[in-house]
Amino acid sequence: MKPKLFDMFLSFLKIGCLLLGGGYVIVPLLRNELVEKHNWIDEKDIIDFYALGQCTPGIIAINTTLFIGYKLRGKTGAFIAFLGLILPPFLAIILLASVLISISNNIVVNDVFWGVNIAIIILLILTVKEVWANSIVDKFTLFLFLLILLLSVLKVSPVKSIILSGILGILYKVITAKLHKSGGSA
Amino acid sequence: MMHNIGCHIGEQLLYLFVEFFKIGLFSFGGGYATMPFLYHISDNYHWFSYEELTRMLAISSITPGPVGLNVATFAGFKTAGVLGSVTATLAIMLPSFAIVILISKVLKKFKDNFYVQSILYGLRPAAAAMLGAVAIRLFNDSIFAHNAIDIKGILLFCFLILFSFRVKKDPLIYLLIGGLFGILLNFHHILNIFKG
Repeated sequence: MKPKLFDMFLSFLKIGCLLLGGGYVIVPLLRNELVEKHNWIDEKDIIDFYALGQCTPGIIAINTTLFIGYKLRGKTGAFIAFLGLILPPFLAIILLASVLISISNNIVVNDVFWGVNIAIIILLILTVKEVWANSIVDKFTLFLFLLILLLSVLKVSPVKSIILSGILGILYKVITAKLHKSGGSA
Repeated sequence: MMHNIGCHIGEQLLYLFVEFFKIGLFSFGGGYATMPFLYHISDNYHWFSYEELTRMLAISSITPGPVGLNVATFAGFKTAGVLGSVTATLAIMLPSFAIVILISKVLKKFKDNFYVQSILYGLRPAAAAMLGAVAIRLFNDSIFAHNAIDIKGILLFCFLILFSFRVKKDPLIYLLIGGLFGILLNFHHILNIFKG
């Protein structure tokens, strides 16, 4: 059954308000709202779209939202879902940004951010550790990790790094697949 | 104060659009995946400093909504006000929008495609490495700032590392502890305020 655009907007608005923290958090929120409350989509589809959202470039939560919106009501649906999802955080950030700019010279605020700065470094390290498990799976991926780490420290642009690693990934896989094939038939 | 002096606002919005479109097109992975791109923008355009960007990231991590999008909104605002926010947010989303429409017809095949999987096989370690490089740069900037070693910084860093063996990654908890220690380790600042 096709949902009304306005109802879709409200549902994604609600998800946008509740979405705290990254990653998989959006899946249970989507399920609550779209499957259990409205029955607009199958739970299986949500999980598939989330998996697809990880395989496509961009922000995972946004990709997932666009896939679902598109499935429900085409291009307009995708845009409406996106709009609903981002409106609450958009307004919150604008508000906080205005406040932050006016207090950024306060010495105690600076002390807080000095500590927060260090906490961010830890969070980045923990993220790398998390991603490590399913990205560094063999010697070649370890080599890629070290290569891109070096290039990034030398300030090579992320766009170039991403293009390079994508090409190297394909080359390696194609070559090893060929070698396997010829090895298997021999 | 929010706009770069000597740069026409229309021109600036155009650059902002192009840079954030590139992030949308080339960033992979969740959460902090967009950060290496933003630090690179900070190096090239001077719209915001590394320090400001780290503040934006901290606030974006504890605000509702996807972190990557929040930081984009924030950075856009810092660069060119509300118009900058709208530009950055739309620009980072447009590549996703196009890709969703393009591949929605071949969904299942897309994810399991040999070439898609091969690209991702190469991209995942690269995305991790780029984040690692940001961590190294931030560590360097905050611990060895002003040609002196920040002993308090090292203390807090070590404490949080030990803490992470016990408590799972929750941005709110880590940022709260960081902020709290920031106040406590520099408590003389508050005492000075009360002394006048």
